[in-house]
Amino acid sequence: MHLDYRLSEEWDEDTMDLSTVAEADLRYYVAPGDIILRADQTDLSAIWGWIPLIDFALALREIAEALAVAEGNETFEFTESEATLNFERQGLEVVISGSYAPGEVIVPFPVFREQVRNLARRLDAELLAKHPELGSNPVYQALKLSCG
Amino acid sequence: MLFRGQDTSMKRAGIPILCVWVGVVMVVFGDRIVEAQDGMGFVNEAARQVVITGRALRHIEERHWPNSPAQGAGKFSQGITEDSLRELINEAVANGRARPNTNGRPGEIYEYDFSRPIGVKINGEPASRLRIVVSPRNQLITAFPF
Repeated sequence: MHLDYRLSEEWDEDTMDLSTVAEADLRYYVAPGDIILRADQTDLSAIWGWIPLIDFALALREIAEALAVAEGNETFEFTESEATLNFERQGLEVVISGSYAPGEVIVPFPVFREQVRNLARRLDAELLAKHPELGSNPVYQALKLSCG
Repeated sequence: MLFRGQDTSMKRAGIPILCVWVGVVMVVFGDRIVEAQDGMGFVNEAARQVVITGRALRHIEERHWPNSPAQGAGKFSQGITEDSLRELINEAVANGRARPNTNGRPGEIYEYDFSRPIGVKINGEPASRLRIVVSPRNQLITAFPF
């Protein structure tokens, strides 16, 4: 499985003060971009340019934590459409499917969890490097993007 | 005399009778009262005041206006205006279902089916429902047809 992100170059970060924005802003308006999610013949990537990446990383971390505790289904709802990603834990694997694209991505659970952690850490590092003012935002700090 | 006596006894019995009726109402409708307090069906009217900011309107216009180039996002029908959007939002918040936001996001989601097309889904099919996301302070974050 390949899980990655790409920050949008069209994000106009000057419209908000990143050192003080609230959690709802961080999860809906800050750091939009694309997500890349594919394996072999299946591509569940969402190259829409607007997906809030902080929110995506946090939501996936929550989903991974839930699936670590028990088998079952967890759903990611995209913030600006009816599209969803479904994550189903089946034994040692996670089966990922999307409402907007055909096919399934099947990945061992430990690999899934590690890639989710890596994505969050890389995103956190890139955002803080490009926008150091985020580091002084207590709400952003409390999200602990690099932890977990 | 007979009527006066009955009237007196009815007045004396008034408070116990009221208590009995309150009890009957609680037994018969108690589950609905609990449902309302849960916020899963209907919510208290005072909580249904959504603050629509200029920033939220700009966000919705960028993502969901008919001429928006944003892919993977529902679009409103041609002819939508800020005023008609406000009307859609007010109607949906007043009459729609409320549920907590998902995936650990703060705030609430309202959804309402207008039973007529108000836009298109991401696959291009007509959309009759509106999803509204509000912050814990009841500020509009986004709204789109689906």
